[in-house]
Amino acid sequence: MSARRLTRRNLLLGTAALAPLLARRAHAFGEKNRFIPAVARHKGRWDTRLSGLRRITWELQRRTSVEVVPDARPFPLSSPDLFEYPFLYFGGEGEFPPLEEAEVANLRRYLTYGGFMLADANDASDGAGFDASFRRELARVLPQSPLADVPSKHVVFKSFFLLDAAPGRVLNKPQLMGCNLGKRTAVLYSQNDLAGAWSRNESGDFEFDVSPGGEPQRELAVRLGINVCMYALCLDYKDDAVHLPLILNKRR
Amino acid sequence: MNSPSFNAWKLVTLSPLPPWALVLLALGLALGVALAAWGVRREPSRGRRVLLWALRVGAGLAALFFLLEPGIRHLQVARMKNRVAVLVDRSASMSFPAEVGGRTRSQEVADFLERAAPRLAELQDRFTVELYGFDPELAPMTPEALKTPARAGTTDLLAAVRAAAGAGQGSRKLSGVLLFSDGADNTELKAGVVGRARAALADLNVPVSTFTVGQETLKDVAVEGLKVDDFAFVRNSLTVEVEIHGRGFAGQDIPVVLSQEGKTVASKVVRMESADDVKPVAFTFTPDQTGRFVYTMTVPTFPGEAVAENNTRSFTLKVIRDRVRVLLVVGRPSWDERYLRGLLRQDANVDLVSFYILRTLSDDPGVVNDQRELSLIPFPMEEIFDTKLDTFDVVIFQNFGHSDPSLSIAEYERNLERYVHNGGAFVMIGGDSVLGEGRATMPTLMEALPVAAAGPANLDAFTPRLTPEGLRHPVTGIGMGAASTEAAWAELPPIPGANLTQARPGATVLLDHPHLTVGGKNAPLVAVWDYGRGRSLVMATDASWYWAFAAHKDGSPSRAYDRFWGNALRWLVRDPDLTTLKVTADPPSVEPGRPVGVVVQARLADYQPAQDAQVRVELFSVATQKPVAVQTGTTGTDGVVRLEFEPPAPGPYKLLASAKKGETDLGKGEDAVAVRAVGPELSDASVRPELMAQLAKETGGKSYKLPRDGLPDVPLLDPPVVEVGRARDQPLWDRWYYLVALIALLGAEWFARRRFGYV
Repeated sequence: MSARRLTRRNLLLGTAALAPLLARRAHAFGEKNRFIPAVARHKGRWDTRLSGLRRITWELQRRTSVEVVPDARPFPLSSPDLFEYPFLYFGGEGEFPPLEEAEVANLRRYLTYGGFMLADANDASDGAGFDASFRRELARVLPQSPLADVPSKHVVFKSFFLLDAAPGRVLNKPQLMGCNLGKRTAVLYSQNDLAGAWSRNESGDFEFDVSPGGEPQRELAVRLGINVCMYALCLDYKDDAVHLPLILNKRR
Repeated sequence: MNSPSFNAWKLVTLSPLPPWALVLLALGLALGVALAAWGVRREPSRGRRVLLWALRVGAGLAALFFLLEPGIRHLQVARMKNRVAVLVDRSASMSFPAEVGGRTRSQEVADFLERAAPRLAELQDRFTVELYGFDPELAPMTPEALKTPARAGTTDLLAAVRAAAGAGQGSRKLSGVLLFSDGADNTELKAGVVGRARAALADLNVPVSTFTVGQETLKDVAVEGLKVDDFAFVRNSLTVEVEIHGRGFAGQDIPVVLSQEGKTVASKVVRMESADDVKPVAFTFTPDQTGRFVYTMTVPTFPGEAVAENNTRSFTLKVIRDRVRVLLVVGRPSWDERYLRGLLRQDANVDLVSFYILRTLSDDPGVVNDQRELSLIPFPMEEIFDTKLDTFDVVIFQNFGHSDPSLSIAEYERNLERYVHNGGAFVMIGGDSVLGEGRATMPTLMEALPVAAAGPANLDAFTPRLTPEGLRHPVTGIGMGAASTEAAWAELPPIPGANLTQARPGATVLLDHPHLTVGGKNAPLVAVWDYGRGRSLVMATDASWYWAFAAHKDGSPSRAYDRFWGNALRWLVRDPDLTTLKVTADPPSVEPGRPVGVVVQARLADYQPAQDAQVRVELFSVATQKPVAVQTGTTGTDGVVRLEFEPPAPGPYKLLASAKKGETDLGKGEDAVAVRAVGPELSDASVRPELMAQLAKETGGKSYKLPRDGLPDVPLLDPPVVEVGRARDQPLWDRWYYLVALIALLGAEWFARRRFGYV
């Protein structure tokens, strides 16, 4: 991980890139109806990828018709205000303490009644660190819906871009994991530090290098992020019968 | 020898021995004859051999004679008179003229039977001749009664013949049937003498001689052989098939029109190729509204036609919805769309077809190859807003309003407006692209909506207010009763902003803004109305998803969102269960001369049965557009009452019902009923000589066209001879000369054997 150097040029370009977004916000019709990611404020290092979330919402606005508010809203998991933000980002670096019962109950209700959570191991851990803590807590939140590999035919891989892998800043795990509630995937979990690939610093430079695929892998990570947001917004829209023949044809 | 009281005799054995003993003795005699023959087989003289054989056979026969003790049984017997049934068809088709401009078929039969009276009287010597009419019940008749008009609604020749075989006095058997009919059977023999009907006729063992009445040269065109399902699915194509039977119309074109309660649905022209031709005609159409409707198939009435009443054929069709087919068109992905989609997708009664605008021209997805890298499909505007629009029960626009030429629906606005006007259902959900926001104003489509844009959106959070209309309306009735509904709405979280609209005259506002007013009235949030034959609903916000998700923030589950949208869909597609007054024609299709029945089920606003409700039903003629009769009644404990109207004239009718309980109006409802012009009997004026011939052939009778002179010789079974009196036996064997003959034969054989050296 290496931070890029802030230059005047990058700062100006980054600011200019946000200008259209700000212009469109001026016509907002009820800010809360737009895509605003909420961030889970747990007792670990929860806030290491806020710029990545800002970046992915900006990309969502730029590349799709979705209207966004780019600033993520952090909330404790026990907050009822979470229910005004159906997209929740749960990331972190390293272990975090167990959630309180109220947090577990609120998060369970959030997911059960239609909320969506993107979990992201910012430390790209596997079996330790964030991964261990998250798996432990998720088992408390959704004991009946264990984490499982997300199959490659899942709609998240075609909700906007056609994708066949799930890279992040790294590529430790080729696929996402998820928890299903009924036919809906309520939780998607990446161990590849997805938001790390999106993160930019104040000057607009990407905060971290992406390996092993470099910039093409970063683009794929951005596309995957957009697809995840699209899945949260549109559910299985791209599995509708009207889409299938065309999408299958494109995949050939 | 014969006493005068005996009139018959027969040869019998008077032996007291049982039959098996007689058989054994006869076998012994045969063995004796055989042994005798065996004993003389080496006799060189053929004459002697024959003589000895002959003498032994003669002696054997004589001995058998004595064993059997034959006698004559004198009998007193009598012949019983069997029955001959004369069956006359009394169905309504016998009132058709036997020939063009001539007398009726019934009159022709009556005249013939007068001419045949002497011959029938002759038959009375051997048979009892019984005259019956069948309509289709068999009933004794007098020749005079035959001159009255025949009216029966069906012809059942087989049942008549069967009944005749079982009728009559005592055990007298049927020797024959004389059947007078036009052969226009419309029951068991409709398809001819085949299958079980054929077997049944054979089992009768009675010759049926048939006399066909009427000529086949009648001029008539009839709508026959209607084939249509009892119900159809709305917005699904349906095929109705009929046969146009034309007699005397060779080379002529006959227009056939299918209409729904006076409105032409489709028409075709068929050409009659021959003088007696049947042309199948099929109409395929798509009902666009649920409910029960009367459809009528009509051909014109031509001069000189035998029957004018069979030129139309009405039927009722119940149009129901299958799964509600919903088209969801979304301007852009949003949380409002996400929760509505989730709800519609999990509803098994909804068939959801959705199109989302995921990318506009101003969006840059950052790809090199759109086709390979994006999963987007073209937005098939022409297909969904033109060719397939009528296949949807409900069209939902969710913040869908684009001014880009590639996404603008300006070209299809009129289609959508007409779709609603003609019976479709439309929902406009607000947002920043519609209802006064955005650049796409869609003025033509807005005509079909119950509200009009009234200014910029208000973005202050508010808790909507349930209007008095909303408290009673099925769309907003999300609780069990008014109090529960009011409480359920009050519990929902505030929603962040709404489009500013104003209700149009005639609209029903169900939820409104508690403070924001337009033109002195609170700005509507949810409003509905009937537009033409369709319905539309406006939800003037893109935040109803708060009722789906934010409503759960306090921990208590809420079904308000699901119930609201579920109710809305059912109301939009006119779910019969959402009406407080349910009207059902009973039956939906009425034969001529039968009363029209209607069952009305009344419910209160909370859907409890409305006991003692005053129900008024008007029988309204669709043809004349005038009410025909009115009936009133009071519902029972189950909220149901059945009313009946006197038989009205043939044609399509609407049953328009209204109900009140005290001063409370329970609403209105309607159903349709078809009163047929003719039953199956009068729908076909044809004569079927081939059926009459078949019937005669299968039973061993003869078939005739109604003769001009008297009754021909018809096959009749001879009456059986029945022993009715005494019997006396007269022995034949106890004569002395038979004994002498036996002794002489035995002696002669003994003498011959001795003479020839065998003893």
